[in-house]
Amino acid sequence: MNKFEVVLILSPDLATTSLNTEINNFKTKLTDQNAKVVNEEDWGLRDLSYSINKFKKAFYRYLQVEASGQIVKQISKELNQSENLIRYIFIKVSEHQELPTKLVYEKK
Amino acid sequence: MKKNKYRARKEEKSNSPFENKKKFCPFSKPGSPKIDYKDTRLLSRYITEKGKIVPSRITGVSRKKQKELAKAIKRARFLSLMSYTGKIHLS
Repeated sequence: MNKFEVVLILSPDLATTSLNTEINNFKTKLTDQNAKVVNEEDWGLRDLSYSINKFKKAFYRYLQVEASGQIVKQISKELNQSENLIRYIFIKVSEHQELPTKLVYEKK
Repeated sequence: MKKNKYRARKEEKSNSPFENKKKFCPFSKPGSPKIDYKDTRLLSRYITEKGKIVPSRITGVSRKKQKELAKAIKRARFLSLMSYTGKIHLS
């Protein structure tokens, strides 16, 4: 098992309920395959530095995950199919950071 | 012999009107900040007005840390936390 950080960028057109279902779907996908979601953080609706797919704002979600590399490969294939997800990134880390992250900390 | 040569050169430097302060890496000391793609305020210090990554010879960042820094900046750009083309700091 490796430790990963995941950032999901979701379309701003989503309603809050469909946003939550989208994220819960993602989480269940992980947990179905013996991966663990350690921590989670909501970065909320943020301005994008440049427009992506003509969106100027987007919802950000940040997750700390424990999974094996193969699971990540599989899931990222599935994530490419979904329309509501604008962008995502998996980053392998040696140790999970403490929350809150600097990005959220500065906002307050 | 070698040592003397070195010392002599050092003295020469210290006497010169152009003060050569040695740059040190701002990330290599024990208490220094960690490089993270989420910390855009820190990263924005290492890009130019046009959004380019500043070379380490100007900032004094060590080679190892410059690699990390570049990677972090590129990640932040991909996630649209930072701009590719300018220095916009989003709060």
